[in-house]
Amino acid sequence: MAIAVQIAFNAIVAGAMYALVALGFNLIYSTARFFDVGYAALAVASAYAVLYFYKTLGLPLVVSIPLGIIIAALLGLIIEKIIYRPLRARKASGTVLLVSSIGVLTVVQALIAIVFTSEFQSLSRDIGSTRVFQFFGGAITETQLIIIAAAFAVMIALGLTLRYSYFGKAIRAIADDEEVARIVGIPSERLIGIVFFLGTAIGAIAGIAIGFDSGIQPTAGLALLLGGIIAAIIGGIGNVWGGVLGAFVLAIVENVGVWLISGQWKAAIAFSVLILFLIFRPKGLLQK
Amino acid sequence: MSILAIQKLSKTFGGVRALDAIDVSFEAGEITALIGPNGSGKTTLINTVTALFSQESGTIFVHGEERQRIRPHEIVALGMTRTFQSMRLIEQISVLDNMFLALTERGPFRALIEQRNASHEKHAEEILKKIGLWEKRHAHAEKLSYGQRKLLEIGRALAVDARVYFFDEPFAGLFREMRAIISDILRELRANGAAVILVEHDMALVRGLADTCYVLDSGKVIAHGTVEEVLQKENVIEAYLGK
Amino acid sequence: MDYFIHVAILASIWGILALSLELVVGETGLVSLAHAAFFGIGAYATAILLKIGLNFFFAAPLAMAVVAAVALAIGLVLSRFKGDIYMLASLGFTSIVYSIFLNWQSVTNGPLGLPAIPRASLFGFSFSTIMSYFVLVIIMLALVYAFCRWLTRSSFGRVLHAIREDEEATSIFGYRTTHYKLLVFVIAAMLAALAGGLYASYISFIDPSSFMVAASIFVLATIILGGLGNVRGAILGAFILIMFPEALRFVGFPADIAAQSRQLVYGLVLILLMLFRPQGIWGTFRL
Repeated sequence: MAIAVQIAFNAIVAGAMYALVALGFNLIYSTARFFDVGYAALAVASAYAVLYFYKTLGLPLVVSIPLGIIIAALLGLIIEKIIYRPLRARKASGTVLLVSSIGVLTVVQALIAIVFTSEFQSLSRDIGSTRVFQFFGGAITETQLIIIAAAFAVMIALGLTLRYSYFGKAIRAIADDEEVARIVGIPSERLIGIVFFLGTAIGAIAGIAIGFDSGIQPTAGLALLLGGIIAAIIGGIGNVWGGVLGAFVLAIVENVGVWLISGQWKAAIAFSVLILFLIFRPKGLLQK
Repeated sequence: MSILAIQKLSKTFGGVRALDAIDVSFEAGEITALIGPNGSGKTTLINTVTALFSQESGTIFVHGEERQRIRPHEIVALGMTRTFQSMRLIEQISVLDNMFLALTERGPFRALIEQRNASHEKHAEEILKKIGLWEKRHAHAEKLSYGQRKLLEIGRALAVDARVYFFDEPFAGLFREMRAIISDILRELRANGAAVILVEHDMALVRGLADTCYVLDSGKVIAHGTVEEVLQKENVIEAYLGK
Repeated sequence: MDYFIHVAILASIWGILALSLELVVGETGLVSLAHAAFFGIGAYATAILLKIGLNFFFAAPLAMAVVAAVALAIGLVLSRFKGDIYMLASLGFTSIVYSIFLNWQSVTNGPLGLPAIPRASLFGFSFSTIMSYFVLVIIMLALVYAFCRWLTRSSFGRVLHAIREDEEATSIFGYRTTHYKLLVFVIAAMLAALAGGLYASYISFIDPSSFMVAASIFVLATIILGGLGNVRGAILGAFILIMFPEALRFVGFPADIAAQSRQLVYGLVLILLMLFRPQGIWGTFRL
């Protein structure tokens, strides 16, 4: 019984992080219409930025974290402007955009590795000192609780924005049909830029969260991204909340699988889930 | 016995009945026109018979035998081929290569060992000369003019040497000379005993070519007979002019 | 001089890998990231067979047969997907295979890798000198190139080009396009396995890190650079992307930075190509 609770806790934490990545990914996909794999590298970049400010410069958390998020989000915006926007203006195919985003992923990862080395690093100043709580036989750290709270706060804030604000409605219009949205007067280019900023910021939170929870490496971008993509596909590509659902489904399957088989096979389990879904339910759990 | 008979064929798209229990039949050695206002189901009919869309209900008889559900690649073996309204040529290969697609080995392993085939080349040359594209045979399809592309689309279908041909608006946007070439081709196919089904909007052309005619509206057949007969029917005139 | 030949050997091996991916991506339009998996399985299978004493010229074909079977299975699953989902699913397979390399310790020795892989030999002559191995690899490259050219010129190649552009219209003319795609995928996987075998026997030590997704991305970058739809372009791209970064070493970059700088260059190459010259250097097909 205690094992089940522990698995559940682990799954909730992992699910929260995947959900954030999937959210950003889906936001970008439903408006800009391509799979941006570079986005996760920026999430990791933000974690490294926080590492620099918090551990190297010694700035307090309240400063480091927002700085890290903003830097990554700005990078996301800049990359959108100089790479993706010109390509989209040329009506480049989704594949071309995807390939260029692979390039972005590779470049960002390499830059991080050059500046910060490929070593595994943790964001926490004093590892092991975080408080551990026990509920129903399962252990959960203070950091993890904060992560879950932050993730849900973001999701609620995003949900309210999408539903009630002008921005949210405009985004949904663009996701539905960009041409029509533009005809109606929605400044789609500018808004898509904001979507990239926001989406990257959301992903950055996930990156920072992992950095505190378990630590990061330059290649963590790919692992994070793949988890987010798998969650998004399982949930139904383009469906913002599907990604959240998919994230928790994935997290549960992963954690149960890891308990049954072994921690080493986590990636294989995740991808097998993906392939199974693609075969049997390609449209995902929730339609668009 | 009709070379191709279709009974009670239906096809729905998201709640709209594109084909509503249609009954049509096509005879060898005849040119049959399919006419009707836009959206009446003409292209859907062709797409369903040529297996691009799956059959929902109804039966298709080829030479009197019921045809089981088939995939698109199987229609050639049944002696059927078609052209597309929007011309689906392979743009980045040559005119000659487009023709060869209709001529060369279909099986992957045999295609692997086939390099040049004299009889295919002769066949392609014959048709290309007939449609006037022999000089342009090495040009990429994307470099051809609109009219030349339409001709190539037809030439490719000719290369299949089928018994049933579906031509979806082959004359659209063409000048008189090209129209004459295509009309001659259709007549020649008829003379050789093939069944030619023609979707076309130009009534003068249809009058001059078609032996018989089906008028479609909203997925149903509303008239059938010679072109003169159907054009005088009230319901046909209504369908075109709106009620 | 030896160093230069070493680089040429690597470039040739990656050239074979590039040719194999070109068949799938450039000729058929299937953007697959699965090649690192086939490269790796070929390398491990050949290595294991070499270590138990089998001659290279039996080991490599056997490894190719093993890969053919795996590729058939993976290809069948992938054939249900199109476009970007196809790419993501192929990425998924590479990750699963990498996971297997890492964790199936009894066979692959996990992250520690397989050391002491013997060099290829033929009738008692061992390709132990760097020059002799270079000759071996160049001959293999030439053979693979000739095969790919022959394939692209055959009717099979023409059908692939047609499928690349409009699969549905092609099928109307009597072609079972799924069979064609599967066949080219399996053939390409076997060639990738050959490259893997040559690699294993040359480097004499392999570990999972050479067969990660990054390797697939690298091969993709080489053929996009060289130009899709052109068999010679594949070799050109491979040679440029292997040799150019080696020049960086002479400029005096420290070793660990050099590896990352190479990655940086590959990524930049992809971005710049997509922005300014999507058809690559000699390409005839644009993504």
